[in-house]
Amino acid sequence: MELADLAVGLLLSSISLSIFTYYTFWVIILPFVDSDHFIHKYFLPQDYAILVPVFAGVTLLSLLSVFIGMVMLKSKKKKA
Amino acid sequence: MKHIVKILSMVLAVFAFWIGLLQAAIIPPSYTWLVISTLLIYTVVSLGCYGLLMVGIGLMQFPTCPQEAFLLQQDIVEAKDFFKHKGVDVGSD
Repeated sequence: MELADLAVGLLLSSISLSIFTYYTFWVIILPFVDSDHFIHKYFLPQDYAILVPVFAGVTLLSLLSVFIGMVMLKSKKKKA
Repeated sequence: MKHIVKILSMVLAVFAFWIGLLQAAIIPPSYTWLVISTLLIYTVVSLGCYGLLMVGIGLMQFPTCPQEAFLLQQDIVEAKDFFKHKGVDVGSD
């Protein structure tokens, strides 16, 4: 039904918007803020700003390649 | 092609401005690699976020046309009937 579509769409958009604002704040605005401002409490140390996306990207790529490999093996087994 | 070049040059200009600002605030001796890699990762992350956002918005605006669905079901029943009389096997799926 349209309600489920609306709910999932809203959830996806809100997740993407929140990730985008958090990451933008983290990477772009925080380096210009003095180190004793209270806002730094809400953000992880700056090194994580690079590690977390890289780690997530590597995980995504490996999961994708595992999936593709499994599909290829299954199709080869079915043919033979 | 000209559009892409325009957009790319705008993005590059904004990034260069941000790097200049950064160098004015924090004097980095050999931070250049770190800054550029951060910018690259930020671009990829924002592209992924934009894709997710477009998918979410498309989902929210997707029309379901319930009348067309009903008409389609009627068409399917009609077609099944027709083929059953012709002898084709139209077992329920």
